[in-house]
Amino acid sequence: MSVRIKASQRRVRAVFQPKTRTTPTAPSSTSPSTSSTPPIPTTQEKSKRQSSKMQRMGRTVDSGPVSVPDLFCQKPVIRDALETPTSVTQDETVESMVPNLNARAPRLRYNDLGVPRLERQKHVNFLQKTMGPFPSQYLHADASRPWYLYWSLAGLTMLGEDVSSYRERLVETARAMQNDTGGFGGGGKQTPHLATTYAIVLSLALVGGEEAYEAIDRRAMWKWLCALKQPDGGFQVSVGGEEDVRGAYCASVIITLLNIPLDLTTDSPAWTPDGRANLLSGLGDYVRRCQTYEGGISGQPNAEAHGAYAFCALGCLALIGDPREVVPRYLDIPRLIAWLSSRQYAPEGGFSGRTNKLVDGCYSHWVGGCFPLIEACLGPIDDAPSAQPRQDGQTATTPSIDLPAAPETLFSREGLVRYILGCCQNPEKGGLRDKPGKGPDPYHSCYVLAGLSSAQHQWQLASRGEDEPSAAIDDPVWLVLRHLDDVRVYEQEDVVRAIHPVYAIPHKHQQDMRSYFLAKEGF
Amino acid sequence: MPPKGKAAQKPKANDPPPAQPQTQQPPATQATTSPTTPTTIAARSAAFASESRPFESPTTSKPTSISSLPRDAQATWTALRFARSPASRNRLPLKVQREYWKLINESSLPIRALRKNYDYGAAGSYDLATYEAWREKRTLLTCLEVQSRAFRERREREREGVRDISGDKVVVTGEEMDEERERRKEMAGLKRELYGVLGGQLEGDPEWDDVVPIAQEEPEGALATISYPGEYAEAMGYLRAVMIKKEYSARCLRLTETIIEMNPAHYTMWLYRAAILFAMKLPIPDEIEWLNEVSLEHLKNYQIWHHRHLLVDNYYPTIANDAEAVKAFGASEIAFLKQILAEDTKNYHVWSYRSYLVEKLGIWDVPEELSSIEGMINDDVRNNSAWSHRFFLIFSNPAHSTKGVAATERDPAVPAALVDREVAYSQEKIALAPQNQSPWNYLRGVLVKGGRKLGSVEDFVQGFVHELGTESEDVTSSHALDLLAEIYAEKGDKSQAELCLRRLAEKWDRIRSGYWEWRKKCLDTP
Ligand SMILES: [Zn+2]
Repeated sequence: MSVRIKASQRRVRAVFQPKTRTTPTAPSSTSPSTSSTPPIPTTQEKSKRQSSKMQRMGRTVDSGPVSVPDLFCQKPVIRDALETPTSVTQDETVESMVPNLNARAPRLRYNDLGVPRLERQKHVNFLQKTMGPFPSQYLHADASRPWYLYWSLAGLTMLGEDVSSYRERLVETARAMQNDTGGFGGGGKQTPHLATTYAIVLSLALVGGEEAYEAIDRRAMWKWLCALKQPDGGFQVSVGGEEDVRGAYCASVIITLLNIPLDLTTDSPAWTPDGRANLLSGLGDYVRRCQTYEGGISGQPNAEAHGAYAFCALGCLALIGDPREVVPRYLDIPRLIAWLSSRQYAPEGGFSGRTNKLVDGCYSHWVGGCFPLIEACLGPIDDAPSAQPRQDGQTATTPSIDLPAAPETLFSREGLVRYILGCCQNPEKGGLRDKPGKGPDPYHSCYVLAGLSSAQHQWQLASRGEDEPSAAIDDPVWLVLRHLDDVRVYEQEDVVRAIHPVYAIPHKHQQDMRSYFLAKEGF
Repeated sequence: MPPKGKAAQKPKANDPPPAQPQTQQPPATQATTSPTTPTTIAARSAAFASESRPFESPTTSKPTSISSLPRDAQATWTALRFARSPASRNRLPLKVQREYWKLINESSLPIRALRKNYDYGAAGSYDLATYEAWREKRTLLTCLEVQSRAFRERREREREGVRDISGDKVVVTGEEMDEERERRKEMAGLKRELYGVLGGQLEGDPEWDDVVPIAQEEPEGALATISYPGEYAEAMGYLRAVMIKKEYSARCLRLTETIIEMNPAHYTMWLYRAAILFAMKLPIPDEIEWLNEVSLEHLKNYQIWHHRHLLVDNYYPTIANDAEAVKAFGASEIAFLKQILAEDTKNYHVWSYRSYLVEKLGIWDVPEELSSIEGMINDDVRNNSAWSHRFFLIFSNPAHSTKGVAATERDPAVPAALVDREVAYSQEKIALAPQNQSPWNYLRGVLVKGGRKLGSVEDFVQGFVHELGTESEDVTSSHALDLLAEIYAEKGDKSQAELCLRRLAEKWDRIRSGYWEWRKKCLDTP
């Protein structure tokens, strides 16, 4: 991983540019991003940080040895008197978090800013056990075993672990779940499903290596994807299954990561005699129909805006062309940002999934993960995309709205970090969770850590042509940077590995897999 | 049989243990050397075996050499050898043979050596009386097995259309079927008692005799494996077998139900179930009735709602021309949705299904639908799902909306009166709890749909913002301040807009300060 210095208006020091993607390589060992981050600050720096914090946040509340800004431990300044079930639940939830918000939860190790340390080793131990074998109480997971693999492997990777040692077992497990007619099911002989296929493909990318890549039957995958593609642009999650934004996102990830041909088979429901429709066409319009009056995105047209679908919608759009061009074309960005920003609550600091719902650790990714994508789409476009044909068959045009660049950050990174480290860690057995009082699980562990990655890093889209080898394949190049806050409330050693903002796995793993299939001729 | 794996080897704690004496008996070989009467069946057998082998060392089992025997014994030895090796018999002259037989008769030796170390399994340690009882049960089981085999053969003949001696086609009656079921139960009980084997539900059901279950194959070292309970593993084994054959039958439908009860998140099961229903053209209302119960049991499950969606897709065309039938169906669906939303007021999948249903049946103007939503908003004015559904009901109604217009865009087809009504409705609800964002989002959405200026509600909004930027500043809704900033921006009053955004960032909604900052930058962009 090469490191170079880039002049930037943002206070960004180092650009960790991902390796170029010229050669399909055998997996190399992964290294946690912490190895290339600046050294631990001195105590002098720390006290400076704290005083600047006092200045910025105004009042702080003394909580014994540490001081927590009142924003993150006091009730909001405006509160309605009317009680309804929603407000009662909200108040009870905040009440139950009081020890965590005040830096007084037992068994967490707090720094002088009232932020606990990341219990890295405990979480590693936890995630090593969430890949089974499971007792019979896990029966309910029988149709989602691939998810357990992805959540655990992705979580471990973000924590800096090398998961390539799982390759052989994963390949065997995946093969048994692959269907002759394409795609992977939740287990052997189950109907193939886009969500479980997405989870398996990403898991294989995480363990890396030719053996893992070659476990995928891409020709059958292509045919199966064609069978799922609908005339309205969306995808069914399985033949006869529901059609939703999640399916659209999972399909786009699979198609681009595996370099699946875009042509439709003639028996695809979306096939048109003029041959113009392809696997990606119509996706933008489909996603557009899911934006609601609130600005957020619903799972299918006409439903309520929901955080998980916002991420899927943005991720899907970011894959069908240059996000700076595609996202504004299909979504009302100011409304989307307003809605995304409303998801963050004080004093909790975390995100909720819908208006008037509770914060939950997993939205650290579903909502928090939208910000890197949105931030990359803002700002003047220095190199207006030329009228190149896009992958979905549409012709690119310069977006009609020119929105100002994001400020330092669009959301409160401090709030999110406080919620993640202070409320989402299980300090006993490790693992991360929805909120205090809930048990840890691999799903929340993965997405809470992904949220932490979003809070600790920021991403930029490289200008076209800036990076020669990637320009050749016309992929938008995401550059990952460490986000340097006014005050970094967490400890330097608690930085997790950066993930790709769309694929939700580290850049290197995404690039290795994609370049392997780009270099491959035929299936 | 797939379920035999783990379940068969490890009986569950709550199952009766196989009828075995708990105390360990001494090993059978010891009994043969001791002069006392054997106490266990295995010991007795060993003793018999030993007796039948007079020229073998009981301890080493090695044949005694003929030269070490006394003379008369030598003759018996030779005679016995003759009797027990048929190949040698015919080579001897008849006279000699007769001689040998005579000797054997006199020695009263059995002409066959008894098998040594006969394997009785666990029963080997039973005392003689227990063994007798055990053997009786085993005989009974064998009888039942013979009868059961005869039954299976009869069913086979029935399936093949074979005629019996009288020329009639073989028909297995319901009575015979019931008898067989009883028989299987009895057999399963005996097997458990005799051998500690747990038989599966389906294995014991004669209806499934023709299906060879397909076990789940897990590769060596597979990840995320689950130790399936026996019944689940068995049911899945049969399911795989019938799914591969694409069998759509009543028994398959029951099988999906069995599995869904154990694991409602099994999407494959739901898809297969729908395929069976449609292939067999089973009445959809019956399925919906069953589904209602399952839905109430598994509130958080979402496969259920896609299944319902498929049912309606299939059922609606059959009633589409009958307005009364559509109305009645819609009413019963709404009644059920009310019931389930009472349990879980913001259930995402239920609400998504509800909007699908309204559109599919075209029940936009059914008064109960809108009034039911109003009821929910009255119960909890912060229920955003209810607000979202209201927006959909009103602004997606094809009677006064334009297809293809985005939710965040103006729709010229929306009548002004409707916009007025909805503006008034949201304002009335905002007044109840001004910091509740749901009606504010709704209000803004309505204004945009109706093509109204945001400034058209400025007076109302100002009511929540007092003396902004002064010492006595008071704000009772940050959402009002947010909207006010937009109203000022719309009027071109940049400095007032900036003031609103600054106060939001500094005081009234600090967690979103990054966003308010960006909004300030937006003021400079035309
Ligand atoms: Zn969650």
